[in-house]
Amino acid sequence: MPSWKFLSRARPHDPQFDSELRFHIDRLTEENIAAGMKPEEAWRRAVLEFGGAEQIKEELRDVQRIPILETTMKNFRWALRFVRKTPSFSIVVILTLALGIGANSAVFSAIDEVLLRPLPFPQGDQLIFLHQYNPKVQTPQTRLAPVRLEEWNRMNSTFQGLAGYYTEDGSETSGPLPEKVTEALVTPRFLQVLGVSPALGRDFSPDEEHFGGPHALLISDRFWRRRFGGDPNALGNKLRIDGFSGSIVGIMPASFAFPSPDVDVWASVPTDAPFAQDRGSTWYLTIGRLKPGVTLEQARANLETVQAQLGKQFPQTDAHLTPGIAPLKEATVGGVRSSLWMLFGAVSLLLLIGCTNIVALLLARGAQRQHEISVRLSLGASRFAVVCQLLTESLVLALTGALIGLFVAGEASNVFRGLAKELPRVEEIHLDARIVLYTLLCSVLATLVCGLFPAIRGTRGNLSGALAQASRSQVSSRTPLQWFLVGVQVALAVTLLGGAALLLRSFQALGRVSPGFEASHVLTFHVSGSWGETADMKGLTQRIDHIIETLRNTPGVGAAATSAELPGVPTEFQTELKFVEGPADPRHKIVAESRFVSPGYFSTVQIPQLSGEPCQEPKFIVSPGAPGGVRLEANSVTVLVNHSFADTYLPGSKVIGRHLQVLGNAFLRPEDAGTVRGVVGDAREEGLNRQPGPTVYWCIGAPDPDPYYLVRTATEPMALAETLRKEMHQIEPARSVFDIMPLEAHLNDAFSENRLRTILLSFFAVTAVSLACVGLYGTLSYSVTVRRREVGLRLALGALQGQIVRQFLAQGLVVTFLGCLAGWGLAAAFARVLSGMLYGVSPSDVGTLLSVVLLMLLVAAFAALIPSLRAAHVDPMQVLREE
Amino acid sequence: MPIEKSDLLQGTLDMLILKIVTLGPIHGYGISQRLRQISKEVLLVQQGSLYPALHRLEKRGWLAAEWGESENGRQAKFYKLSAKGKQQLKKEESNWNRLAGAVASILQTAQ
Repeated sequence: MPSWKFLSRARPHDPQFDSELRFHIDRLTEENIAAGMKPEEAWRRAVLEFGGAEQIKEELRDVQRIPILETTMKNFRWALRFVRKTPSFSIVVILTLALGIGANSAVFSAIDEVLLRPLPFPQGDQLIFLHQYNPKVQTPQTRLAPVRLEEWNRMNSTFQGLAGYYTEDGSETSGPLPEKVTEALVTPRFLQVLGVSPALGRDFSPDEEHFGGPHALLISDRFWRRRFGGDPNALGNKLRIDGFSGSIVGIMPASFAFPSPDVDVWASVPTDAPFAQDRGSTWYLTIGRLKPGVTLEQARANLETVQAQLGKQFPQTDAHLTPGIAPLKEATVGGVRSSLWMLFGAVSLLLLIGCTNIVALLLARGAQRQHEISVRLSLGASRFAVVCQLLTESLVLALTGALIGLFVAGEASNVFRGLAKELPRVEEIHLDARIVLYTLLCSVLATLVCGLFPAIRGTRGNLSGALAQASRSQVSSRTPLQWFLVGVQVALAVTLLGGAALLLRSFQALGRVSPGFEASHVLTFHVSGSWGETADMKGLTQRIDHIIETLRNTPGVGAAATSAELPGVPTEFQTELKFVEGPADPRHKIVAESRFVSPGYFSTVQIPQLSGEPCQEPKFIVSPGAPGGVRLEANSVTVLVNHSFADTYLPGSKVIGRHLQVLGNAFLRPEDAGTVRGVVGDAREEGLNRQPGPTVYWCIGAPDPDPYYLVRTATEPMALAETLRKEMHQIEPARSVFDIMPLEAHLNDAFSENRLRTILLSFFAVTAVSLACVGLYGTLSYSVTVRRREVGLRLALGALQGQIVRQFLAQGLVVTFLGCLAGWGLAAAFARVLSGMLYGVSPSDVGTLLSVVLLMLLVAAFAALIPSLRAAHVDPMQVLREE
Repeated sequence: MPIEKSDLLQGTLDMLILKIVTLGPIHGYGISQRLRQISKEVLLVQQGSLYPALHRLEKRGWLAAEWGESENGRQAKFYKLSAKGKQQLKKEESNWNRLAGAVASILQTAQ
């Protein structure tokens, strides 16, 4: 007796068994006594006649036992036998499920980590991202000025604290060679707000957070291992970054990656420094931690009151500002939400197609097993027991599929991470218990979806009929349902294919746009610099000019320039402008994208000059009162405007020679008016996917200490990388050169989310179409098998092979066509979901959808052709002999 | 020659029990007596092995059971046929007759 039997013992001892059996033995004994035996002998004989009472009691218990476990074990054994006996069927089902469940789990793991989980900070949902909002300018959301951040922090009553940060790339020169480091410059309270402490050492002390205090640094775990080999004695060492020396006071935990995983060093920037008191500056990205129980709305109202007070106190700078707040998680991942859910929807459709496919296969299989099932039912098996057994079979298949699916998901999420480098929080994506659980859930659901219906259907109906029919199969009455399922698969596959085709078309359209500049043969890189250098604008400008000059004279370089932003990579910096000449028209504001470039920019990226002259670098004059002791010489700033600007704001009149002022910008003051020297062609500066708008190019090559350097090369851009690095090291030995990359690579990266979803959706769509074809093929093959006799008869009676082929082919294609029609409708709905992700193609583009349908029909025709041909080659004699 | 239980098809024993129970509520001992008498001692079922069969039939809902007083005044478990059991018996009888008829005709033709 198996040892697990005790598990299901329902009643260990039933006194009723005893009395029932004793009654029988007593009666036998009485009978024996009546026949003349002595009582002893009579009883002995009775027991003997009755048989082993203990064994019988055990049997009775067996009968009464609730046989869940045994039945389950038995079902599993049968299911395993079934899987082994039908390997090709099982492999198809298992692989389909493995793909479906695997892809589903991979995308779900991304959604789980990126969207569902709280940020990896204690009480991450209390963390809020803040900005200031100025409705008067086109890019109204800006970073905070240090003073305002401190005021908000002091005056509010809903936050535990606010802190700001920004990052810049610097050069660390305490080692033998300068090393590029990414530095996060943070305000006081930074770590307290995040709720994180260093793994080793300590947070900044109050002294270190005030102006004039010692310079202290926190370093990342990665930097600690790279630079100090993980030695705890690194604490107290000094680093020298861009000329500022500070000692390491703490090492952050490896899991800490805020604001980005690239950060090597966190340095405290005092907000009480004299140079940080300008209310117009926009330095800090700002985060805050809500007090427990405070809602977002309460916090918003509270900050609005605070800002209203400040607006009264500083009407010039603060009157128009309002605070903007959003959960930090939303601010971090909000942008990819729709993409991820779209992919999840797509991959769920894929799983659904897979399940539909399996339902069709199981139905066909069930029809073949009709006889076996009927025999079982007629032998007294209850319908419930047979359904359970059939479900166990699907469960075994689904679980095996899910297990393989987990491996698929593991691999898939690696691929996903590789493709989605730009995705926020992508480094957090991994498989864990939740994903395993999710996968299990998927497989149980898949079982129910795939198995229940065929099982119920298979066990229904007239027993004796099925038995009598035995192998003499008629034209099957069961196929309409299977054909319906094939239609569903085709419809879903067309939906996915339609979506993928629209994304592909947008991707192509994006590649085909003529951006107005020439991105090929341009190499870009950075040379480290720090914001501290802006104290000496003249020196900074000279330094950058010198670099540009050196680059231009390097052999192999056609032209060189700097630009604050890269052309074509989505960014915007909209500013409100005003012509110095003539009265301003308050109803027609002049708003334009401002780009800061050195004069060589236009020849480097080949934006044509349409009229006027090239622009020039501004001049500086000594001015003791100004920051850094110099200021821009009046009228020395020159600008070029693009064609669209001239057309929009000065149609028909002369634009060259006019003077433009910037309103509401900290860097260019109204007195630094720029003279328009010429007009250049329109270029898609703000992103390849956007039409060029009015743009003003300020010819200032050193707007910040670390602009992009752009170099036009004669040959493949990266071939020049080493030469340029050496040149730079000669003239700037203390600075590091980094991020050397062709401009085209930047453009690719900028649209990597786009690429990710296009690649994934295309992959899903192709899989879906293949599954639909497998479904069509399987169902048609089954139908051919079932109708062999009929086909054989017809052939014997003189039907032509061509007619048979046409008939089966038509059956497959009509279903496919109907599926395509339904799919067209679904695809149109799906396209509406996609509309925000499309470029240069309308969501209801008939051409795209039509070609998708044609493609589907074509592929389906191939899938249907093989079984149809096989049908035509049925040998009538053989079929008739089989009967 | 008597037929041992192992030779007796399980379904056949069930059918015989159902048939005997049609006559009215009866306890296990009574059933075994009847079986012996009616079959003229041909069917020698070890008497105890009747009970697992009885319990199985009860569990399937073909027999209903009740404790009651026996003819000698003692408590005994009485079995009677349920509606479902009646149907089942009808089915089994007709199956049996068909089978027996078929077997008989084969045997006759073969002679």
